[in-house]
Amino acid sequence: MSQINRIKGGLIDRSQSLDFTFNGKTMQGHAGDTLASALLANGQVLVGRSFKYHRPRGIFTAGSEEPNALVQLRTGAAQEPNTRATVAELFDGLAATSQNHRGPLGFDMMAVTDLLSPFLSAGFYYKTFMWPKAFWEKLYEPAIRHSAGLGRLSMQEDPDTYDKGFLHCDLLVIGAGPSGLVAALAAARSGARVILADEDFAPGGRLNAETLEVDGMAGADWAAQTVAELASMDNVRLMTRTTIYGAYDHGIYGALERRTDHLPGAGGKPRQILWRIYSKRAVLAAGAIERPIAFGNNDRPGIMLAGAVRTYVNRYGVTPGQRVAVLTNNDDGWRTAADLAAKGVEVRAIIDTRDAPAVCDVPGARHVRGAGVVDTSGRSALKRITLTDGQMIDVDCLAVSGGWNPAVHLTCHQRGRPVWNDDISAFVPGRDLPQGMVVAGAANGQLTLAAALAEGREAANAQVKDLGFTASRKAAPKAEDEAYEGAPKWHIASGKTRAWVDLQNDVTVKDIKQSHQEGFRSVEHLKRYTTTGMATDQGKTSNIPAMAIMAECSGKSIPETGTTIFRPPYTPIPIGALAGRARGTDFRPYRLTPSHEWAKANGATFIEVGNWLRAQWFVKGSEAGWRDSVDREVLNTRQSVGICDVTTLGKIDVQGKDAAEFLNKVYANGFAKLAVGRVRYGIMLREDGICYEDGTTARMGENHFVMTTTTANAVLVFRRMEFARQCLWPDMDVHLISTTDAWAQFAVAGPNARKLLSKIVDDTQDMSNEGFPFMACGEITVCGGTPARLFRISFSGELAYEIAVPARYGNSMIEALVKAGEEFDAAPYGLEALGVMRIEKGHAAGNELDGRITAHNLGMGRMVSSKKDCIGKTLSERPEMNREDAEKMVGFRPVDRSQKLIAGSHFINKGDEANMANDQGWMTSVAYSPSLEHSIGLGFIKSGDTRMGEIVRAVSPVHNIEMEVEIVSAHFIDPEGERLRA
Amino acid sequence: MPDFTLISAPPLAGYDRSFGDIQLIAPTDLAIVSIALPLGGEDAAKKAIKTAFGIALPEVGMSNVAKDKTSSIMRLAVDQAFVLFPSATPDAEPQIAAKLKGAAYTTDQTDGWCALQISGPGARRALERICPVDLHPNAFAVNAVARTVMEHMGAIVARTGEDTFLLLSASSSAKSFLHAVEVSAQNAT
Repeated sequence: MSQINRIKGGLIDRSQSLDFTFNGKTMQGHAGDTLASALLANGQVLVGRSFKYHRPRGIFTAGSEEPNALVQLRTGAAQEPNTRATVAELFDGLAATSQNHRGPLGFDMMAVTDLLSPFLSAGFYYKTFMWPKAFWEKLYEPAIRHSAGLGRLSMQEDPDTYDKGFLHCDLLVIGAGPSGLVAALAAARSGARVILADEDFAPGGRLNAETLEVDGMAGADWAAQTVAELASMDNVRLMTRTTIYGAYDHGIYGALERRTDHLPGAGGKPRQILWRIYSKRAVLAAGAIERPIAFGNNDRPGIMLAGAVRTYVNRYGVTPGQRVAVLTNNDDGWRTAADLAAKGVEVRAIIDTRDAPAVCDVPGARHVRGAGVVDTSGRSALKRITLTDGQMIDVDCLAVSGGWNPAVHLTCHQRGRPVWNDDISAFVPGRDLPQGMVVAGAANGQLTLAAALAEGREAANAQVKDLGFTASRKAAPKAEDEAYEGAPKWHIASGKTRAWVDLQNDVTVKDIKQSHQEGFRSVEHLKRYTTTGMATDQGKTSNIPAMAIMAECSGKSIPETGTTIFRPPYTPIPIGALAGRARGTDFRPYRLTPSHEWAKANGATFIEVGNWLRAQWFVKGSEAGWRDSVDREVLNTRQSVGICDVTTLGKIDVQGKDAAEFLNKVYANGFAKLAVGRVRYGIMLREDGICYEDGTTARMGENHFVMTTTTANAVLVFRRMEFARQCLWPDMDVHLISTTDAWAQFAVAGPNARKLLSKIVDDTQDMSNEGFPFMACGEITVCGGTPARLFRISFSGELAYEIAVPARYGNSMIEALVKAGEEFDAAPYGLEALGVMRIEKGHAAGNELDGRITAHNLGMGRMVSSKKDCIGKTLSERPEMNREDAEKMVGFRPVDRSQKLIAGSHFINKGDEANMANDQGWMTSVAYSPSLEHSIGLGFIKSGDTRMGEIVRAVSPVHNIEMEVEIVSAHFIDPEGERLRA
Repeated sequence: MPDFTLISAPPLAGYDRSFGDIQLIAPTDLAIVSIALPLGGEDAAKKAIKTAFGIALPEVGMSNVAKDKTSSIMRLAVDQAFVLFPSATPDAEPQIAAKLKGAAYTTDQTDGWCALQISGPGARRALERICPVDLHPNAFAVNAVARTVMEHMGAIVARTGEDTFLLLSASSSAKSFLHAVEVSAQNAT
C-alpha cells in the first residue's frame, strides 16, 4: 500500500523514509510521523476493536488523549500493549499490531457481542453474574476478562531497563505550546533555572498543528526558533518526550521521560526515566483537549476530532480522508474545513449545530445551519453520514468539534476543584492550586493564540519576580486572536441508534441515561456504574460530555451536577518505570558482614536478616541437611569452642559528661553506677511501658559507653535515643554515633574460648578469669598491636567473649580465629545455632519481644528500677500490665520427647475446649536441642512462673496438631550460670 | 612476632574506573574521625580545632581543608563534624584525640564508611540519577556537604572540586552503593 493520503506540507522529513509493519503488513512513513499519522497516510483507518462490543475503531485524536487507537508495539519480550498510536513516534522497523480481536482485525469473531448489546448495557455484569456465587471466580470472571480487555502482556521478563532521578529548578514549565514556550523564554531571560517539559517529541504544541502566525512567521517556525534559543541557554533544561504526570506536595512533580521509545533499540541505556522534579514555582501550560459531540454511530473509523484532523493535515502532511465533512458547534471547527480546503482536500459539508452565518468561506463546502448528524454507515470505515433533516452525504472522514476543555488535570492533583466557565462552556482551574503553580494559556481557558502568549509571559514573569529575579521586559510575541465562539451541544438526539460518549469504555448516551434512571447520579457513581472515564485515557475526551448528559437528565446545570477531578498519573506510567532499577538482586541494598567472603568460601548458607546477609549455618564434610550442620555447630560450641560473626548487632558510641545519666534514663534498669571496664545487660521500654529492646552496654571510660543493640532494632534504638537527647533532655551533654559497620565483632564461645583467644590477644592483656571476669570489657590489642575491643558476654550461655577489630580486618580475623582454634576443633557457627543456643539458655529475642510484652511478662519486672525514672516507667506501672496471672515467659518440653514443638501453638489446659476463651498463652520459639536431644520451646503462659511441672496442651489449629507439653524453666542449660563465669 | 597477622581489606579497595567523561575512584587509606562538641564546651572545642587544624570549624553543611592541607573537616550537624585524612594505620581516632587534647569527643568512623570520588564533566549527570540533593554549582558550592539518601542508603555528598564529589556511605552496603553509583555513571554516559 502506498501513502495514498499523504499530501503536501507538514513538519515531517520526507528525505527519510521509514519502513514499519501493521499486523504484518509493511508500510512506509517518514521521520517526524507518529504511528497514527503514518497509518492514516497509508489509508489504514481501521486500527482496533473496542473494549466491550468489539466495534471497529479508528484514530480519533492526534495526542495523548486518544481513546481508540491502542495498539501493541514491538514483538517478543519487548511487546507493549495498550500503546497509543497517536503518540508512538515512528522508527524504521517498528512493528505494531492491533488488539482485542479474535481472528483478523477486519473480521473479529467477538464482534458478536455488538449484536448482543441490548443485553450488555451499563451494570450488566453486576446484575447478571450474581449467581451462583461460586461461579464468579472460576468461570464468569476469567471468561469476561478473556473476551474484554485490550492488549496482551508478553508474559516474559521486560528486557528493557529503567532509571529514576532527581531534578531541581526555579521554574518548571509544563507544556511547550505557545504559552509554555513564552513562559520558559521569559523565565530563562530573567536568569532563573528553568525546566521546560513536553510530552511531544516536537515542542510547539498546537503551533505545529495550526496555520497561525507568531511574530510574522509561521507558528511552527517561531516555535522552532524559540526552542533553539532556549536550548542555547545554560539555565534551561529542555525535556521533550517527557510527561509531567503528577503534581505532588511542596512543588514536587513526577515526570516520565521516554528516552529510547522512538529508537529501534535502547542501546543498553534505560528506556525511560522517572524523574522527581523539585520546583520552586511552576507554570502549567498544558493546553486544552477537544471534546466530541455524541450522535448515532459516531464511533466509526474516519470520525475524528476536528483539531486532530488539522494536526494530521498541517503537521504530518496527511489527510485523514478524501471527502470530508465537519460537524461543529463552534468557530474553531471551521478552521479544519478551511485548512483542508487550502490543501486541496474536498470538504463536502460544514454542519454547524448553531443556526448562524458562515464563519469563513470554504470553497466547495455546503454549510448546513442549525443541523447535526444522527447516523453514519460503513462497516469498517465511514462511508456516509445522515443529517438531522434526513439528507445523506457520502464522506470518508467526519471532523467533529464540540469545543475545547482546558487540560486542568494537574491543578486537581491536590484535591483542587475546577470551576465552570460559561464563556467557553468548560471547567477552568479553580483557586486551590498545588503550591507554587500558576496556569497559563489554553489550560487556563485562554483559548486564543494572542491571549495564550500574553498570559504565558505574564505568568512566568510573576513567578520569577516572586523568586527575586528581575523579570525580562521583552514583550510577548505578536499574534492574532482567532475566532472561537461556540454554543454548547453535547449530543444529538439520534433515536434508537447508539451514540457513544466514552469510546474507550464503550459507554453510550443511553448508558448514562440508564445510570440516572437507576439512581447512580453523582459523577462518582456514574463513573463506577458505567465505567466512563476509566482506563488508559481516563476520560480525557469523554468526562465532560458524560457529565453534561447527566446534567440534562437531572435538569441541573453542569456545575450543579458535579465536577470531575483528576488523580495522577496524567497518562499511563509503565510499571517498569515505577520499579526503576529495583529489580532482581538489586531490588534493595544488601549489607555484608566483614567475614562474608570467608563464610562464602567455607560452606555458609546465607539468610537475609533485614538488609544483612548472615551465615545461617556452615556445611561441613558430608552433612546432608541443615540440622546436621546446626546440631554439630551447637555441640561443638558447647563442648569446645565456636565462632560467630555478630557484627550485625547495632553498636552505638555514647559519649558525654551526662552519658551515664542518659543511659540510666533510656534503660529500665540502672546504669549510672556501672563501673568503667564493666558491661551490663539492660532492657528498654517504649513510652507505653512495653519492652521493645534488650542489649548490653559497656563502659569504656568515665564518659564513654559502647552500646550493643539487637540487629533488628539497631536503627530504631539509635533514632529513639537521638530523639531523647535532642528533644527530651537537650540539656544533657550526650553524643551518639553509630559504629555498627566500623567494627567486625565475633562471638567466641565455649569451654575453650579463653584458650583460643589467648593465642590471638596480645600478651599485655590478662586473660585469666580474675584478670578479665564475666561482664568485663576493655580496649586491647590483638595479633601484634591491632587495636581491638574485648567484652566478656555470652548469648550462648557458655564461657564466651565478643571480640571486635576494625572492620577492615574482619575477614582476616575470622581466618586467624579459626586457625588459632584448630587444636580445639573450633568451628564457625551460624545464625541457626546461635538461635538454638539462646533458646537452650532461655534468652528472649525478637520472637518474644513482639511489641506486646512487658518486663513483667519476661520475668524481668524487677529490672524496671524503682529507684529512678526511665522512659516508659510510668505507663509500665499500669495495674493491668502487672497482673499476678499475667503470661510469664517459661520453657516447654514435649511430654513425649519424640514430638516436635510448633512455634505459634497456643496453650490450653487439659480437659478444656481449644478456643480463645480458654487460651492460656502461646509458644514463641522452638528448636531441637542437640544438647538435650529433644525439642524445646519458649513461650508465655498465664502465671507460668508458678506452674513448673504442670502439663498443658500445645494446640496448633493451623497444623491441626496438638500435644501435651510440660512447663519447665526457660533455662534448659546451666541454670545457675556456672559456665558463664568459668 | 605474633602467630597471626591481620590483613586490611576495605570493601572497595583499589576501585578505579572511568565511564566516558566520568571517573570513579575509591580513595585509599581515607581515615574518618567524628568530633562531637561538648555541650557548654563548644567554644573551647572550636578553639582546639582552630589550634589543631589551623582553620575555624566550618558552618553546618560546609567543609574546609586544614591549613597544612593534610586533612579536611566536614561539619555535619551543630555538634558534629568529621575529620578526613589519609592514614593507613588503624589509629585514626587517637591521632585526632591527641590533637584536640580532650576538648571534644572523638569516635573512629574510618571502617564504618566506604568512600567513592566521582569526578568529571558528567559527574552531576550521573549523580542526578540517585542523589536527591541539588548539586547545581550555584546551589551546592565547592566545599558544600550534605547528608542524604541514595538508593535507600544513607550517604554524605561533599563537593570537593569544580566537578568532583566525595560520596560516603555505610561500609557494610559498600557493594550496593558502588553498584548504585556505577549504574548511574553507565546510564548517564
